[in-house]
Parts: sequence; C-alpha cells; structure tokens
Amino acid sequence: MPLAKSASARALLALALAALCLFAGCGGSGGSADSASSGAEPEGTTPAAAKSGGEAGAEEGGASSKPGKASQAGAKKAAASNGSSPSSSPSGHGSRLPQPKGAPEQAPTPQEVANSTVADMSLQSPAIVAANGEPGHLASTYTCDGKDSWPALQWSGVPPGSAELALYLMNIQPVEGKLFVDWAVAGLDPSLSGIDAAELPKGAITATNSFGKRGYSLCPQSGETYMFILYALPERLAPSQGFEPRDFRQEILAISRNAGLLPTVYERG
Amino acid sequence: MRTKQTAIGAALAALAVLCALFATSASAAPAWKFESKALEGSEVVMGAAYESALTIPGLTTKCENFLYKLSVKNEAGTGKGELTEMPLYNCTTNSSACLVNTIGAEALPYPSHLATFGSANYVIIEKVKVGIRYKGEECALGGILVSVTGSAGGEVNNTTETATFNSTTLSASKTELKALSQKIEWSGVFPTEAFQWHREQALSVS
Repeated sequence: MPLAKSASARALLALALAALCLFAGCGGSGGSADSASSGAEPEGTTPAAAKSGGEAGAEEGGASSKPGKASQAGAKKAAASNGSSPSSSPSGHGSRLPQPKGAPEQAPTPQEVANSTVADMSLQSPAIVAANGEPGHLASTYTCDGKDSWPALQWSGVPPGSAELALYLMNIQPVEGKLFVDWAVAGLDPSLSGIDAAELPKGAITATNSFGKRGYSLCPQSGETYMFILYALPERLAPSQGFEPRDFRQEILAISRNAGLLPTVYERG
Repeated sequence: MRTKQTAIGAALAALAVLCALFATSASAAPAWKFESKALEGSEVVMGAAYESALTIPGLTTKCENFLYKLSVKNEAGTGKGELTEMPLYNCTTNSSACLVNTIGAEALPYPSHLATFGSANYVIIEKVKVGIRYKGEECALGGILVSVTGSAGGEVNNTTETATFNSTTLSASKTELKALSQKIEWSGVFPTEAFQWHREQALSVS
C-alpha cells in the first residue's frame, strides 16, 4: 500500500509536470511569449498618432538624460508621417540603415515584359552540368583544345506557333568592345527538342562567326563564361548560309519573345 | 512492485520525451520581439543591405543598396509577415557590355515567416519573383528578361539586429532561388529595424 500511494503521488507529479509543460511551454518561446507581452501598443494606432507620441517623447526627452535620442525618435517619426515607404522617403530610415543613393531601379513594366525576350524556355546539355549556382564546365573536346565542335543540346518549352528556332553561343564579356559570336545557327525546325553533338539537322543555316569561320569555333581563355541561347521565332526569318550573326540577332530580338539560356565556363588545363 | 515502479518510470520518461518534443516545437516557431517582448498587433520592419548580389549563372548582378519592407505580426506565437516592398538601387553587372535596364520585385506581396533550423532563427521570404531585363547592343543577354523565383531564408542575429542571406543560410533554411533552371545565389547582410510603432526598440527573434 505505501508503494501504491507512492505510485499515485508520482502519477500526480507526472500530471502536474505535463500541465506545467503545456501552460508554461517547457521553456519554449511560442505562445507564452505572447502572453508575456505588455500590450503597450493600443490597437488602431495610426502613424499620425505615433507621430504625436514621438513629439511628446521629444518634449519629455528635453528633460531626460537622453534628449538626443528622444529628439531623434521624434524627428524620425515626423519623417515617417511624410511617407513611410522606402521609395518615397529614404531619409526616414532608421539610423543603422544605409541611405540609398538616387532613385530605386524600376521594375519591368507590363509593356516591357510584353516586348522582351523572356528566358522561359529550358535549354540543357548532358555535357554541361551546373553546380552550386555556378555555370557548368565545358569539356575541352568542345573547344579548340579538342575537337572544337558543339555538345548535344536539349530544350523544352518552345511556344506553340513558333516558326523557327535559332541557336547562339556568345562570350559574356565582349571582345574589343564587341559582342563575340562563336556559333550561330538558324532555320531549326520548331518541333525539334534538341540536337546531337557535332551534328546539325537538315535545314540548319550556319552563320559566319566572329572568328570569320562559317560554323563553330570556341577558343576561350581559361575561366571565360559563355552563353548558349535558343531563340523561338514566331515567323521565319530564313537568313542565307554564312549570315552575319550580330545583325541577325537584332532581327531576332525584334520579334522573339521566348528564349532558353545555358551558361557555361571553360577552365583550360 | 517492480512492474509498477517500471511503469511509473516509463511514464515519467515518456513525459520527459513529450516535454522535450514540446520544447523543440516551440523553439521551431520563433516570434518577433521588441525589447524582448513578443509583438502584439503588427509592425513594419525594414532591412537594408549596403551591398547585395544576385548571382545569375554567368552574369553577376549586384545592387549597391537593396531594401525590403516587411509587415510583421505574431500568429499563435509564430512570427509571420508579408514583404510589401523591395526596392533595389544602383544595380550593375560584371559584364562591361551589359547594363541592367530594369530590375524589381514582381507579384508583391511575398508571404514570410520565422523558423528555426538547428540553433539559428531565420526569416523566410516565400514566392519571390524578381524580374531583370538586361540591355546593351553588345550584351549577349541584351533584350532578355530573366526571372529569379523561389524562396530565401536569412539568418537573424539578435545581437547585431541583422538578417544575413547567403548560400549557407539558404541551404540551412531549406530554401532556394532559381533562375535559368539553376539554383542561384543571393548574398547580403541586412541591418533590420522597426519602422513604425517600435522605432528605436531592440528587435529580436526567439
């Protein structure tokens, strides 16, 4: 019997502990923290009310040991009343926040979006695998250190109604201030979902690249970044063989609204 | 008798486990606090980085200043919020030929919440969509609009009152931002403070 009483006592202790856990939160910060809040902010307080509070604080501050901080708070709250958005009142930021210079950048407008070539198609290559947010590396076989021919490429998301596809390979950094095109191919059937390595489908039209060679040539310095871009064209532009790729790209950008991008980097040695 | 003792011991052990689980779940739901008191009602907090970089694979795009404005509140003890503005200032690329024509947050507001991973607290921004349009006749990406989408987790430091976003914090908070079908990096240290009712008050998350 004493043991039974002891057992009952332990069970009660266990229940008490459980209840304590539930109500006190076992040291957690969730709901208990809320209930601990002083609730100093009256609901329905407006920025104007906050401003007048700040001014009162400033007046009190004049008699306090920290007049500067209170005055600053009042000034900041007054600034807030003139516009609390970061774009409309950058000077209203707290003292620790950096003050942006100039006006904020403009987000693309619906009209700009409608007139842009949106990178919404997928362009991949089994030979180029990105990792950790860095462009995938290109094997030397696809450069002048190797066979100097293109890797297999696969794509998806070509919009219905496309009339032609064009593929470009360009340096991200210009060469002598000019866009450098290493390879450009037009006339690709929009029903295609990729091309094999070093092989072009029937009907492909190849540009004269920035090396002056009709075809592909990639002779990078180590660490250079390149971009494969696939453009979907809503109408056939049908350039002639050996076309000038920089001028043709301007024609593409005037009508193409969809593109796929694949960056790659080459590390020599 | 031994059986009863064992049963009581097991019950206490189970209670301890439950208690520990409860404590864990509570710490996994941090709240917004000002002067160590949980926020009641709502507040507007603002974060601003001195420099922040969105690294689009192949073309790093940096902005001198990068702000976010969060409307925050606690719901059932958990910090929630909405990112309502995200102006970017003086954005450039690492290509001499490529200029940032337009860049900005689309489809605002973005929902956000606080979460704990390991021993650190994070502010998680969800459903991010930032549009970047590049220009430049000699720019390979000229005329192209790239979208950055996904979610981002920044580690909150209560001592410095900052939120830090980088590849480590995104990975630790199980968030990711993507562009061109690839995971991308966003880095920046954002001093963060109240902008409305709790100005000048110490901001913390726990």
